[in-house]
Amino acid sequence: MSETMTADSAARLDTDPAAEQSARSEAPRKASSIEMQGLHKRFGHDTVALDGIDLNIQAGEFFTLLGPSGCGKTTLLRVLAGLEAPDAGSLAVGGRDITEVPPHRRSVNTVFQSYALFPHLSVRDNLAFGLKMRGLPSTERDARVAEIAAFIQLGDLVERRVDQLSGGQRQRIALARALICEPDVLLLDEPLSALDAGLRGQLQVELLRVQQRLGMTFVFVTHDQDEAMVMSDRIAVLNGGSIQQVGAPREVYERPVNAFVAGFMGHDNLFPVSARDAGRLTTALGELSVEAPGDGTLLLIRPETLDLLPGSVEGRNHLPATVVERLYRGSHAEFRLAVGETHLRAMVSNRGRHLPEVGEALTVTVAPEDLVTLSE
Amino acid sequence: MRQRMIDKTAKAPTRALGRETRHLLLTVTPGALWILLFLVLPSVYLIGVAFMTTGPYGLPQRPLSLDAFERLAGFGFLGWSPGNLYTLLRSLGQTLVSTVLVVMIAYPVAYYITTCRARWRPLLLLAIVVPSWTNQVIRSFGWMNLLAPGTPLSELAVTLGLISPHLGLYPSNFAVTLGLVYNFLPFMVLPLYSAFEKLDVAQVEAAQDLYASPLRTFRHAIFPQTLPGLLAGIVLVAIPAFGMYVVSELLGGGKGMMLGNLVANQFAGGANWPLGAAGAILMILATFIGLYVMRRLGKRLGGGEQVVI
Amino acid sequence: MKKQTLRRCLAAFWWLTLAFLYLPLAVVVLFSFNSANSSARFADFSLRWYHQLMGNEAILSALGNSLVLAIVSALLAMIVGSVFGYGMYRHRRRRLGGLVLLIYLPLVLPDIVFGISEMAFFVQVHEWTGLLSPGLATMIIAHVTFQIPFVALIIYSRLVGLDPALFEAARDLYATPRQRLVHFMLPTFKPALMAAFFLSFTLSIDDFVISFFTAGPESATLPIYIWGAIRKGVSPEINAIAALMIAAVAVAALLSLAFGRRRAR
Repeated sequence: MSETMTADSAARLDTDPAAEQSARSEAPRKASSIEMQGLHKRFGHDTVALDGIDLNIQAGEFFTLLGPSGCGKTTLLRVLAGLEAPDAGSLAVGGRDITEVPPHRRSVNTVFQSYALFPHLSVRDNLAFGLKMRGLPSTERDARVAEIAAFIQLGDLVERRVDQLSGGQRQRIALARALICEPDVLLLDEPLSALDAGLRGQLQVELLRVQQRLGMTFVFVTHDQDEAMVMSDRIAVLNGGSIQQVGAPREVYERPVNAFVAGFMGHDNLFPVSARDAGRLTTALGELSVEAPGDGTLLLIRPETLDLLPGSVEGRNHLPATVVERLYRGSHAEFRLAVGETHLRAMVSNRGRHLPEVGEALTVTVAPEDLVTLSE
Repeated sequence: MRQRMIDKTAKAPTRALGRETRHLLLTVTPGALWILLFLVLPSVYLIGVAFMTTGPYGLPQRPLSLDAFERLAGFGFLGWSPGNLYTLLRSLGQTLVSTVLVVMIAYPVAYYITTCRARWRPLLLLAIVVPSWTNQVIRSFGWMNLLAPGTPLSELAVTLGLISPHLGLYPSNFAVTLGLVYNFLPFMVLPLYSAFEKLDVAQVEAAQDLYASPLRTFRHAIFPQTLPGLLAGIVLVAIPAFGMYVVSELLGGGKGMMLGNLVANQFAGGANWPLGAAGAILMILATFIGLYVMRRLGKRLGGGEQVVI
Repeated sequence: MKKQTLRRCLAAFWWLTLAFLYLPLAVVVLFSFNSANSSARFADFSLRWYHQLMGNEAILSALGNSLVLAIVSALLAMIVGSVFGYGMYRHRRRRLGGLVLLIYLPLVLPDIVFGISEMAFFVQVHEWTGLLSPGLATMIIAHVTFQIPFVALIIYSRLVGLDPALFEAARDLYATPRQRLVHFMLPTFKPALMAAFFLSFTLSIDDFVISFFTAGPESATLPIYIWGAIRKGVSPEINAIAALMIAAVAVAALLSLAFGRRRAR
């Protein structure tokens, strides 16, 4: 299992295979799967936070819970941590039922959104806190702190006080404090949301490397679909306390199962299907050939799958269009096109060729295999 | 296998709630019980005493009656006398005058502190608060020393013709007012200061930009913003001032008696518990009315409530 | 230009107010060193009133009573009040209106009502059961009653200012309930608990009215002794004992300033 995971991970992030090999041999860690069955959680009488969650997360997987605020992703993470007790359902880690196990007896650690570093302790004591609570002797604790400091490259941060750390440094200490306990599962509650964009990208990569080297199961919560796609082996999109779709990033992005998932992944070219005849679907744009039409009632056209041809060109899935708006973004350009009665968004990468001007009449075309349908 | 797992963990949704409730009760009960037993119950008992008849040694006894309230209103064995009514009016008057004076002093003081450098402000606030840490009795004693006959202040008052020769500024109603202002000034400065600290400077500058006179700037830009703090201060000053005992006892003498003294005398001397209890009910009522009014005002102004203590 | 004048006026007013606040205390301290038996004229510097204090059994016993009362009540209030404050915080999302009222009642009730209702109640209970005869025990009970709200509010406000995830982090990092208390709660709240204890202690030492009505014949505290002495006729000896109490407060003020500075760091 972990062999295939590593292969997958290498695809996500270019790493030197030799270096990764040595890291893996220096720190062979166990990884645990997570099984959730019918998890329900209500707050008060009318707020449903979890509405029947069934989910299996594989050992060593980087799994992301993605959704808007209030979708239940954080509640689910807290249930995994044991900080919230489900009203119904069961939870097992590594095949062992832990539904009733209090957080301090779960081999699960959390990186909190606010980092939650203890202000009354030094960085070193923060790192060693979990080990101390578990009764490890101080010599061993020191050794483990040194080990983790080398692993996450904390350098001299260990000797600082918590209030002397910057946001990014706090984030790394919080990560190290959770990792040092070598939990079966690491939970991350929007750990990068408080950081500015540049630092955030840098720490995304660092986090990913750590996960790949340790082969530990990570459950990551975020509301940012880009972050989810960059980091995850698989993503679960949540809304209203239930899971909308589970799949690899490409699957969720390219084949969203419903309008909510499509919308959350940033798609806006959605057109109701008014008539269908085998592989030909009719929408406000006109008639389009779709290779795998399925039985969805909405047609999704991803802007980056569209080609813009100059002038009027006849052919299958060729539609006459006029440029209404052009946003030049350097690496690519975004277009709003008037097609028939409606508008269509297109994205064209900038290869130095002609970019259509506003008002220009052209032909927009899309391959039948790039079109998918989905339910409301 | 999985099926068994679910069955085993199927549980009532109320269980977690029950544990939380137990935790709440466990933590809160000792303190709540203490206050209930040693303050709420005694207060209820005191209210009950007001409706009893006076027995031997001034102790309460059955039957229930409204005698105590009649006595408080001045109806005694010898017909009506205005003594108690004067005491009540004096309490109200002293409260009003001292509260107004405290506001007039505290406003500039609180504002001055906010104009100082941030690192000095805690020290300045401390300077205002420290005197109130000393005992009330000692503070009043200090004023007795200052206002006694023959002291420079009293001599000055004699020279100015304010008092007759060989008398002091104490005991007098003036001394009581002074003592009240002295006592309660910090309680007004603190909430006003925190109101000033939160002041939206942009609004003030906008008002100045629009060529508003300083007075208008104050009235339209500063005063409304500090109103919640002011109201909190008034509650903190007026309510305890109305129930004052020590200051009026030491600085007021017989002519400076306030409601607190009337009430206390009924208990200290063992004179008449029901009468004292009836007076105390008046103070309790004043307390709750004052709090209620401030709460309503505070709510209408928004954010006033949190400032109270 | 005009702003300058305004600021100068404000500064002058500030110093005047400060003089007003410290003048009575300064006079007490000054006259405690007066060799003459007068509060109107300062004759010579002398320590005779302080010498007299040392030999005064009643004052020494009142001092002892004050200290026992303050320490015992502050300790009790610290325990009961902080647990109360913690409970209020943990369950702050519930409707605790009644509890909040209970907390505010001792704060807003005028001293005199507080004192006489407890006195009347204690006397009645004593009559019925023979328990709670007026003395240090009844005073401790009364003092704890008005200290609990202050302690609870200090702890509560400290808790509200704290990242709630810290509690969860402690649980998440394998701390058992006992370990959470020892390794997280107590160290985190040490400053707040100390502040609560010192505040309770000062409130107790400072209180006169409530002590006065709940005290027994043997349990007079310093303020009660001073009160009695003033009523009997002013003796410069009172200046000396009052000056000592002012000095204690000044020390407490400096300590609090130092503590505050350290916490701000």
